[in-house]
Amino acid sequence: MDLLSFTSTVVGIFISFCMYTTLYGKGNPLRSWAEFSYIACGTTMSVMMAYTYIKKTAIMPLITPPFTIEALAWIVAIILGLMMWFRVHPTYSYISRVPIAFTVGIGMGYSIRTVIFTGFLKQISGTIVKLWTAEGGWSYLITRLTIVVCVITMLSFFLYTTEIKGPHVWSATVGEYAMYIAFGVVFAQTFMGRLGLFVGYMQQCMYPVWKQPYTLGSAILVFLILLILDKTGWAERLSAT
Amino acid sequence: MGEEGFNLLKKMATYDKRWVYLVLFILVLAPLVRPIGMPIAVSELTRNYYNQIMKLKEGDIVLDSWDMEYSGYMELKPGVLASHKLFIQKGVKLAITLNHPEGIAIVPVVLEELKPIMEEYDYKEGEDYIILGYVFPNEASVVAAASDFHAAIKYDWKGRSIEGTFLDRIHDGGDFALISDYTTGVMSGAIIRHFVLRFGVPMIQNCIGVSVPGALANLDARLLTAVLASSRGGAELEYLIKQPGPGLMMMDAFTLGHYMLIIFIVIGNIGYFGWARKAKVRERTAV
Repeated sequence: MDLLSFTSTVVGIFISFCMYTTLYGKGNPLRSWAEFSYIACGTTMSVMMAYTYIKKTAIMPLITPPFTIEALAWIVAIILGLMMWFRVHPTYSYISRVPIAFTVGIGMGYSIRTVIFTGFLKQISGTIVKLWTAEGGWSYLITRLTIVVCVITMLSFFLYTTEIKGPHVWSATVGEYAMYIAFGVVFAQTFMGRLGLFVGYMQQCMYPVWKQPYTLGSAILVFLILLILDKTGWAERLSAT
Repeated sequence: MGEEGFNLLKKMATYDKRWVYLVLFILVLAPLVRPIGMPIAVSELTRNYYNQIMKLKEGDIVLDSWDMEYSGYMELKPGVLASHKLFIQKGVKLAITLNHPEGIAIVPVVLEELKPIMEEYDYKEGEDYIILGYVFPNEASVVAAASDFHAAIKYDWKGRSIEGTFLDRIHDGGDFALISDYTTGVMSGAIIRHFVLRFGVPMIQNCIGVSVPGALANLDARLLTAVLASSRGGAELEYLIKQPGPGLMMMDAFTLGHYMLIIFIVIGNIGYFGWARKAKVRERTAV
């Protein structure tokens, strides 16, 4: 491993633990340093990737043979993109509304016509299926019945234009409890996901094995610095956020 | 005695939350340093995911959508690596798209991990896989690639023309044999809308834990063909293909972390019913 890779890995591990100090619940300079470094790096990376994308997609077809008529469409796109820069000028910022309107219009047009299917019709048709299949058996029947009952009862919970009385009360109550179960599932999945991010990153910090002393060392060092800063009152005084 | 019991319940209801973080740190780091090897079972979801990949034939072209940031890759790493090992073994051609600027940082990490199997199967960039780079920054770019692939994407991530490669066989979105998506939810919705809905291309998805309920709804609606759930799914896939990797190693920490959460939920609830709730009643009735 070359010196640059080694240094960036070790600094990366240390700065990660600095970022984790946010869990301590008090502002401190380690967290501020890590946070600002991340924002700076993330912004730079986004700008560079956007520049590369524009260069590869719009500029290179215009300057690289064979030239095509279709490529001329990119000139319009580039002009619209340049118009966006007027946003930073207080007097002429209104010019940027044209490309914004163009982008919003196209985005809405593309997504709305398809979201109707993916977010609505397909989801409904996914619910209306056979309750019994020979290969699925009883477990399939129970799963499908659960979906049917939950969909109907939950929908009945959200009927606001009628007074809730009679069987509707029971249906809405069952729907309400079904939602509590669903929220529990989502919470558990969220915890699993967040834990997955943490475990995955810690694994990245622990393997190959040569990283382990640096990871454990960084954890202990950051914790000690944080304790000292907190006890001396310097933590919040030196914090930028 | 009663006073002591009362204090214990109060402690359970009001303990410092930083203890949770500290315990979690220890429970995650300890099994990573010294793995335990707890058993896992392979779910039907993962078997279905595996079967969809196994249906591919040698030479089939897969749109390999890396729809994740670097942090998301940490969770999806087991699924990404295990799926790609299968693709390489099957001799499938991969058109890799990076849908987030941070994707560029993931490429070298993944290639390094896959280096041994790539060398074993003589799997080469340009011939067997092409990294197209950051080509899906928004929905319009996804639509453009689905409608006329070569009009929207002309160069790979290093600025080399993609003409004369296996991508010559791709004209529009319908020419892909499969879409393999590893997602934190950046652009996968647009890919479903413009590749799957329009051309009916089968799409398999390895998603982060937070997105699993939504992905399962899409699986039910047949917008997705298979779902690999988070790191857990990745670990199951590693187990299924008999190639242990980071996923199986992560599962010890996962299991301990989940036990920890259950214990803290129980402690919190005992504290709530034993002290916090009574305290509210005491406050209300001024007793």
